[in-house]
Amino acid sequence: MIPLTRPAGPVPSPFNADQQARFDAGFAKAIAKYPADKKRAALLAVLHLAQEQLGWLPEAAMAYVGFLLDVPAVRVREVATFYTMYRLKPVGCHHLEICNSVSCWSKGSEALLKHAKEKLGVHAGEVTPDGKFSFGEVACLAGCGYAPSMVVNNYAYAEDMTPEKFDALIEKLKNEPGQNIADFPKNHDTGRAHG
Amino acid sequence: MANLPTPPMPLPQTSPVKILTRDWHLPECWTLENYLKGGGYQALPKALKMAPQAIVDEVVKGNLRGRGGAGFPTGMKWNFVRKETSFPKYLVVNADEGEPGTFKDRAILEWAPHMFVEGLIIGCFAIDCHVTYVYCRGEFRDGPVARLQTAIDEAYAKGWLGKNILGSGFDLEMHVVRGAGAYICGEETALLESLEGKKGYPRLKPPFPANAGGGLFKQPTAVNNVETLANMPAIIEKGGDWFSSVGCPKNGGTRLFAVSGHSKKTGVFEAPMGTTFTALLNDYCGGMRDGSTLKAIIPGGSSSAIMTAEEAEWMSDFDTLKTKKTMAGSGAVVFLDQSVNMAHALANVTRFYATESCGQCTPCREGTAWLSRLLDKLCRGEGEKKDVDNIHQIARQMEQKTICALADGAAMPVKSYIEKFRGDFDALVKG
Repeated sequence: MIPLTRPAGPVPSPFNADQQARFDAGFAKAIAKYPADKKRAALLAVLHLAQEQLGWLPEAAMAYVGFLLDVPAVRVREVATFYTMYRLKPVGCHHLEICNSVSCWSKGSEALLKHAKEKLGVHAGEVTPDGKFSFGEVACLAGCGYAPSMVVNNYAYAEDMTPEKFDALIEKLKNEPGQNIADFPKNHDTGRAHG
Repeated sequence: MANLPTPPMPLPQTSPVKILTRDWHLPECWTLENYLKGGGYQALPKALKMAPQAIVDEVVKGNLRGRGGAGFPTGMKWNFVRKETSFPKYLVVNADEGEPGTFKDRAILEWAPHMFVEGLIIGCFAIDCHVTYVYCRGEFRDGPVARLQTAIDEAYAKGWLGKNILGSGFDLEMHVVRGAGAYICGEETALLESLEGKKGYPRLKPPFPANAGGGLFKQPTAVNNVETLANMPAIIEKGGDWFSSVGCPKNGGTRLFAVSGHSKKTGVFEAPMGTTFTALLNDYCGGMRDGSTLKAIIPGGSSSAIMTAEEAEWMSDFDTLKTKKTMAGSGAVVFLDQSVNMAHALANVTRFYATESCGQCTPCREGTAWLSRLLDKLCRGEGEKKDVDNIHQIARQMEQKTICALADGAAMPVKSYIEKFRGDFDALVKG
């Protein structure tokens, strides 16, 4: 059950020491952008920051963020479930998102999605058994002139994709650590309406 | 995380009048050094010596229209904010480019970040704003946002941002913030909600963002597009009359057309406002790809009404396309060839709106999902003739009934695809 009120006492941090240091530095910068009485406005930025440390947003991270910004847990969760870049369950170390908006579609994104499913041996939204890869369908990435386009782990664009280039990308990523995915109990109900 | 380099975007062909793409032929055109060589930051000292109202007057004279999609006159918007007596006032930049087909703001942030920063400083001075936020789409972190942040840091170091800019007494803080993947946050009031740390539900208007009570933190706020602001240095340097003379009546300046689909060349092209689609295709994009013929044109992002190949002679300005019952929108042009079945294309477009509807208003939440299910059924070969009529009917029922324009943006393609390409839909009907 998601509490509707603010927590009574301090909420423990979900981060280890390194993660905490990076998080704290980013947190100070994020809230400095807004008027002192409006720090709630930094919620999206702070959720990004938490996800960058953990690879996804476990319930413990949302509770901690809510505590820091003095936002009820239900409001944090409302935001985390609304925006597609927040991961409510663990993804692969390399999470690939293939754009299927009309421009990419006209240049073969459906075939690329089918190829990704065959190459990785999992469906969209699932993680490979070794935990290395997962993929999904998104729209639109603003890469329409260089279609089909995709992003790796939310930020690294790969454009003018073909099945061959996709295979080469997978080979390259296999040897890279990718993002760390924190080992937390899975959120009991991801219940997202979007994406 | 994987450290993949962002591939450099191919540099587009030149236009007869170059405003926004002035430096794009240079290698590393985004650096401060190259921007200064091309005449950068000469408009700023000139603007700071002008009266703020005189700047807005030049913008009005220049017929600068908002490049985000609606084409609202920028000068008029700024006059609304100027009339308000409540302070602080904000200028919020919409860089949450998300309309399918659109990638021109990304190009400005990647290749001309200083032109945008200079334009934004001038815009803030004109409406007496001292804190500005650039709301960028989340995925832009390592590419466009990194370039923009470098440009902002350089501007602070040079004294073009911060306290007492160039001795004028004008102070300005510029912040970049990021969204997290929600198409609806490109709608200006949803963007403001998101900027306040909330889910992106559009607000009921009035009050409008320009008015007290309607903007960021309830303060008067101008929300402007990246490309709109990037035009400011040219307007200050050369004047509103000159800017208006480029382009066509009531539509001043050039436009960045983001071209995708089946033309030989795709990418971002600068052309005068009103350039016909035939000229854009043939003179800028080298025609259609080999062995293909033009079938349809999406003129201004996926929510604009579709055009047939015969309609390619239409001018692309805001007013012409409005009279033709479509829209210039975000300047995202998709040329589609004969290989495309328009019912399949529409199913793709509609799935996007069904996914991205924020869910606040029933006609949109239910309507987009219903349309998407019916179109998918048709594309699986299970549709009946009455389904096609039903799809058209549902779209008509969704229009003008919701808080924001997403439902209208979903309905406009549905109606037009069916009206103009009915044969493609009937061909999929079973039996």
